[in-house]
Amino acid sequence: MESKSQNRLIKNIIIYALLILLAVIMLVPFIWMITASLKMNKDIFVIPYQWWNPEPKWSNYLDIWTKIPLAKYALNTVKLTIIVTILQIVTSSFAAYAFAKLQFKGRDILFLAYIATIAVPWQVYMVPQFIFMRSLGLADTHLAIIILQAFSAFGVFLMRQFYEGIPDSLCEAARIDGMSEYKIYAKIMLPLSKPALSTLTIFTFVNTWNDFLGPLIYLTTDSKKTLQIGIKMFISQYSAEYGLIMAASVISLIPVLIVFMALQKYFVAGITTGAVKG
Amino acid sequence: MKKKLLSTLIAASMVAAALAGCAAPAPAPAAAPAADTGASAEAEASEPSAEAAADSGEAVTLKWALWDKDTTVYYQPLVDAYTAAHPNVTIEMVDLGSTDYSTVLGTQLSGSGSDFDVVTIKDVPGYVTLVNKGVIEPLDELIARDGIDLSKFSGVTDQVTIDGKLYELPFRSDIWVLFYNKAIFDNAGVDYPTNDMTWEQYDELARKITDTTAGARVYGAHYHTWRSTIQLDGILDGKHTIVDGTYDFTKPYYDMVLSQQKDGVCMDYATLKTQGLHYSAAFAQGNVGMLNMGSWFIATLINGIKTGEYNVSDWGMVKYPHAEGVEPGSTLSTITALSIPTSSANKEAAWDFIKFVCTEEGAEVMAGTGNIPAMTNESIVDIIAEMDGFPQDSKEALITSHTYLEMPANEKSSEIETVLNEQHDNIMNEIVSVDEGIAAMNEGVQAILGQ
Amino acid sequence: MPLLSQSRREEDVSKADRRPAGGQGAVYLPCPIESEDNMNSASIKRKRRQTLVAYSFIAPNFLGFAVFTLGPIILAFIMAFTEWDGNNPMKFVGLLNFTSIFSDDRFLSSLRNTVVYSIFTVPFTLIAALGLAILLNQKIKGRTFFRTVTFFPYVASLVAVAAVWNMLFTPSEEGLINQLLINVFHAEPLKWAASPKTVMLTIVLFSIWKNMGYYMVIYLAGLQGISEDLYEAAALDGAGAWQRFWYVTLPQLKPTTFFVTIMLTISCFKIYDIVYMLAGGSNGVVNKSAMVLVYYIYEEAFRNWKLGRASASALVLFLIVLVITLIQFKGEKNYAND
Repeated sequence: MESKSQNRLIKNIIIYALLILLAVIMLVPFIWMITASLKMNKDIFVIPYQWWNPEPKWSNYLDIWTKIPLAKYALNTVKLTIIVTILQIVTSSFAAYAFAKLQFKGRDILFLAYIATIAVPWQVYMVPQFIFMRSLGLADTHLAIIILQAFSAFGVFLMRQFYEGIPDSLCEAARIDGMSEYKIYAKIMLPLSKPALSTLTIFTFVNTWNDFLGPLIYLTTDSKKTLQIGIKMFISQYSAEYGLIMAASVISLIPVLIVFMALQKYFVAGITTGAVKG
Repeated sequence: MKKKLLSTLIAASMVAAALAGCAAPAPAPAAAPAADTGASAEAEASEPSAEAAADSGEAVTLKWALWDKDTTVYYQPLVDAYTAAHPNVTIEMVDLGSTDYSTVLGTQLSGSGSDFDVVTIKDVPGYVTLVNKGVIEPLDELIARDGIDLSKFSGVTDQVTIDGKLYELPFRSDIWVLFYNKAIFDNAGVDYPTNDMTWEQYDELARKITDTTAGARVYGAHYHTWRSTIQLDGILDGKHTIVDGTYDFTKPYYDMVLSQQKDGVCMDYATLKTQGLHYSAAFAQGNVGMLNMGSWFIATLINGIKTGEYNVSDWGMVKYPHAEGVEPGSTLSTITALSIPTSSANKEAAWDFIKFVCTEEGAEVMAGTGNIPAMTNESIVDIIAEMDGFPQDSKEALITSHTYLEMPANEKSSEIETVLNEQHDNIMNEIVSVDEGIAAMNEGVQAILGQ
Repeated sequence: MPLLSQSRREEDVSKADRRPAGGQGAVYLPCPIESEDNMNSASIKRKRRQTLVAYSFIAPNFLGFAVFTLGPIILAFIMAFTEWDGNNPMKFVGLLNFTSIFSDDRFLSSLRNTVVYSIFTVPFTLIAALGLAILLNQKIKGRTFFRTVTFFPYVASLVAVAAVWNMLFTPSEEGLINQLLINVFHAEPLKWAASPKTVMLTIVLFSIWKNMGYYMVIYLAGLQGISEDLYEAAALDGAGAWQRFWYVTLPQLKPTTFFVTIMLTISCFKIYDIVYMLAGGSNGVVNKSAMVLVYYIYEEAFRNWKLGRASASALVLFLIVLVITLIQFKGEKNYAND
């Protein structure tokens, strides 16, 4: 008994030591961001870096809202991110169901086409895509960004792989019970794929939230611009306001972290086929 | 011919889009009308109908592509001054961002659906690519028609003329000068730099004020990581250009700076590059004696001192050092210019605006905001020097004898730049010797020019 | 060939569909709803219906994808055989773009660097991500905190992450890591991102650090899909922790690992911003020693406006990734058939 609990103690100590080391390594950039966001611009890239700053420049956190219409940009970003994320989740999980659980002609080719396109860098088809979108009258619209982000192959691939892990027997059983495929998707697959849906939500959210080049190319009207474009506005031709950039980056990070923390709770309690059957 | 292929494909995908019901009401396929070639657009510009529209007082809105709209002090005054005289014109400024301006502008002007009327040109390689793409108008006929005297641009327009045609008119010009921190010279008991220094004298001065004692570190000179800060010192004798294909003339300058780097006179290139220390932050620390930099830094510096952020109080400027036997006042310059996209529907009105911004009237507005206009005359320097915080003993530094563009227009500008940048990096990181680096530049650029 | 099937069951069905009976049909289990006698007509009918249903599932995503992404991509591939600057008429030049990039030193370096980078980054990131996921799937105190912290470098501003990194890996002797090398390992200090010998190493280490949290999230989600029953059964059989990992966790994570491997490979081949940040430094000059494919593509496309050459380079990248992906599919299949 004693040696067993001693073993567990040692194991716990090792685990926590590892975790704390990990946390430190991972947190350093965050601490840097916060300390840099409270500095004067000239002091940020000085060597050696001063971690402790006796005179924090809190005004950076006020200036970011007045120097550029950051609140408006944030609002635009929130709107775009929410719409894209919802569309992405719905359409990808829907399509992924077919790729994972249904048999049909051309499935493999279609799926291959999906995955393969992920490998094509956006830079090469950006120009024809832009010309095409503009010909549809979509230049300088939020709709363009939504369209570009919402129908990605990534989401379909991700969801399909998770559906693969769900036993086919569940679907077959439901089919015998006379459930339609749509119902199986809605009533069985969706509830079971919460961890995957959470993952996709997090990734889509982060991607859309941090997207820079897309909005930069498409959105030219000031009132339509997004947070990331706003942050880059602090880098002007001849100077870069890194204090403000970091302050704005810290602010822009908060929603991302909230979404992550809220959704990571679904990464628990794996499905047990027994429970579902029962 | 292949344009047709593109159009067909795009049209086909549009049909698909329409069938899918997710297409917005599409205007005429934009890719189908092939881009206007320079020639046809040129003819269009001089059509009387276009002219009439501009003069008739009809309401016109000009869309102007630029960067740093809110932080640049002269855009709004220029627009205000112009619209005061032309109440029928509205100028809509569109900020494409500074960091990726050339990429965004190039994309916007691709195809022929752009609705910009005036575009700002940020640098020469960017200008050349737009000319090659055939998306900006040649201005020669308009310049001749309206009798604009190009000699007032101190020769700069010649350096951006491509195959006998000029596609942009500069409105802002920045020259390179030597900034110095007076406190450092005072502390060291050394005389300030002068407007007539050779590179040898400059080197000597930099070494004199350097202090390598830990804790009291003073750097005599500072070179930002750009190639221009060292490589281009060599073209100021007027005997070479940076697109020549031979670069042996850069050797003395690399030797000088590398030796300074070794002796701790200036900061180490590798560290500066990886740590990303901005030259303004370096100078702001108050331990840099001299900094060679463009005149755009004047405004930043004055502002940094005013807000109390910089550890610098008294500073000055002198002319760039010069090679033995060369007249002082030769320096590098960069220009910011305006062009008319071939797709613009208001070319005549756009030209009228460009004419205003780039010539006398605009020049005065520019100078009033503390920036050097491309079209200069004697009174301009005086106007600039009136700026609050401008060191009065430094006016002389802004008067030039010869200016050389950092990169003259060449069809291969951007490719040449890639080679020069790479070897600059190799030399400064001491990956290769100066001679090896120069040999690689010669070989690389000659290969590009020979294509 | 059903290259893309994942689960054993599906594979069996498709095998039965496409191959003459016999073959490897020993594992084929007939669908429970179909009886032997009416199988032919019913199965044809069912198949047709299922195809329609399947298309209706795929349509919303696929139409948007095909029109706005696939179309332009196909166009980009056509561009690879043309000379185009984005505006003037396209000129068909055959294979000229390919011959010219393959004689371009910068392209060859970028190709080599990208391959080297991927070879080192993919396995280490994968192992790190899996390890982290297993560690953070335990019932430990402060789990939310640790998970969030691990995800952090992925979402933090690249400028900040790179600044911290550069601080640690400063090329001068004052750098923290160099101090460690000198004092603890009595080794020569390295110039890290400033030297052509170590710049790729620096980028590899940086990417692993920055991205492992991202793939950890995928693994975490994958781990939730593993049934507790399997672990219980394994425990009853007397399997230890290691055996449970080897015989239950790993095989069950196969679809996830497949996804992670492919996505990781693709993203490694598309690496761009990290290189610009670490190797470009304050003047943005990326040397041949750190040149990667997408950076090369970017330069060709937006500095030189040679979209044909950019597309040709992208096509090369695409083909490499495609081959790797197909090999992985094959590997998966063989593994599944063991």
